[in-house]
Amino acid sequence: MSTRLARILTTIFVLAVVLLPIYWLVSTSLKSNREITQEGTLYPHVPTLDNYVRLFTEKQFGSYLTNSVVVTFFSVAIALVFGAMGAYAIARFRLPFAAERKIGLFLLTLRIIPPVVILIPVYLLMLSLGLLDSWLGLIATYTAFNVTFCVWMMESFFREIPVDLEEAAMVDGDSRFGAFRRITLPLAAPGLAATAIFAVLVTFNEFLFALALTATPRAMTMPRGTATLIGRIDTDWASMSAAGVIGALPIVFFALLVQRHLVRGLTMGAVK
Amino acid sequence: MQTGMQARKYRLQGAGLDLALPYLMLAPGLMVVLGVLVYPLWDGLRASTRAYRYGSPVADVGFHNYVQLWSDAQFLNSLWVTVKFVALSVSIEAVLGFALALFCLHEFRGIRLLRTVLIIPMVITPVVVAILFRLIYASDAGMLTALSEAMGGGGVQILGNPLNAFIGLVVLDVWEWTPLMFLILLAGLQSLPHEPFEAARVDGAGSWRVFADLTFPMMRPVLAIAIVLRTIDAFGTFDQVFVLTRGGPGEATRLISIYGYDTAFKFQQTGYAAALFVTIGLVVLALAFSAIRLLRRIDAS
Repeated sequence: MSTRLARILTTIFVLAVVLLPIYWLVSTSLKSNREITQEGTLYPHVPTLDNYVRLFTEKQFGSYLTNSVVVTFFSVAIALVFGAMGAYAIARFRLPFAAERKIGLFLLTLRIIPPVVILIPVYLLMLSLGLLDSWLGLIATYTAFNVTFCVWMMESFFREIPVDLEEAAMVDGDSRFGAFRRITLPLAAPGLAATAIFAVLVTFNEFLFALALTATPRAMTMPRGTATLIGRIDTDWASMSAAGVIGALPIVFFALLVQRHLVRGLTMGAVK
Repeated sequence: MQTGMQARKYRLQGAGLDLALPYLMLAPGLMVVLGVLVYPLWDGLRASTRAYRYGSPVADVGFHNYVQLWSDAQFLNSLWVTVKFVALSVSIEAVLGFALALFCLHEFRGIRLLRTVLIIPMVITPVVVAILFRLIYASDAGMLTALSEAMGGGGVQILGNPLNAFIGLVVLDVWEWTPLMFLILLAGLQSLPHEPFEAARVDGAGSWRVFADLTFPMMRPVLAIAIVLRTIDAFGTFDQVFVLTRGGPGEATRLISIYGYDTAFKFQQTGYAAALFVTIGLVVLALAFSAIRLLRRIDAS
């Protein structure tokens, strides 16, 4: 009986610790600026959606959202196609000098290095190509990061699919690439989906490169745009909290879809 | 057996155009990576040996930038803050995550809800996580202040005080990343074999003995992986600090990534900042590789 009570109490405690900050964010986003800073109420006494409306009418959040969706979509889609092919080659072929294994390890090494390390040269590269503050600059950057991740994660999915099936298809007259496209790829679909959604999470959330590479609503993404609300002296708590809710919603929704595969993605496949 | 598999792999490779297939399949991805990651990496190395003025290189200075780092009090301080931050956050996360995983090992009602809710902190945009915590700490709009006032107290000062701000940052990281530790360690616990535990129960071992003699030793490799992954990740922490404190007050929360960013973009010392980042990259890689070697040794023994 006492262990049961302890379990219930611990569960409630953990839920409270995780959810209270989120409650406060949502609750703040529904208050007027006056209620937030002067009255310090524990819940919105006069709930209002003004803060959300203001984000889109005055603060260009429509642009930020569009930019985020476009940049995320293209960089994930391209990385997924390139990554799936690369991962398959590494999983199935034996190249001279074990090149495929070396390439795999090389991509993993690139993944370990904190992205901030190449921030300056990527900035200089985009500057010289005239791609600062553009979709293309962000898409190129994110695609590269996503490729290293997609290859690494999808390789493990391909390895789990028996080779016999492809052999059978090839005996029946399929080409090597045909066997990949018609047999292996569909079988790896759940893995592909998990990889894609995980790449979406990371890309949509990315801030550092968006900070350095974009400067106007033309290309600023959601996290980047949200950060512009933080003033030096004054902070517009109402807009900031509403922006937080809008930024977090789609991502939490996506994450709950792939719960099962999340740990694998977050640990680069180290844990299944 | 080995040669049989080898032969099968070669047969699968086919002939003619199929021989070029692996290269064709690897090429697009590698080209993007070479262009956008590897070239900048090399360019960064080159930049780190130069002096810049107004964003353009003016002189080759060899290793001067690297040498200078070690007499730069601000760099050394940011390194110290980073090490403190990483060590403190990761060890708290490991302990809490492990405790929570042990707690959740036995199925009970509400566990699914718990696991689902615990996913939220680590997937929310880091910038938004920082906003969450600004909203908690703020002296005017903050949850702590509101709670304190509701109980008749005064305003709470967190981000204006160096020690409190640093602790506040650690609390943020613990809130955000303990769930990851928890999920990794829970997966590890669930994959442990049952037999030793049943044998221990038959022998009448107490739960502390079971933990110290069985669970903990068997969990060491998974624990090591989790700690290594988190450590590497925590070293690159940027977004949360940038939004929460911008490194302040003073230099209390100025992690090395923030210092590097300011050096490059605020003070325009491109070459010096590049040397700083190369140094961080080398430190993290060294950490990762020594961790991998350590893991191999644990695996072997």
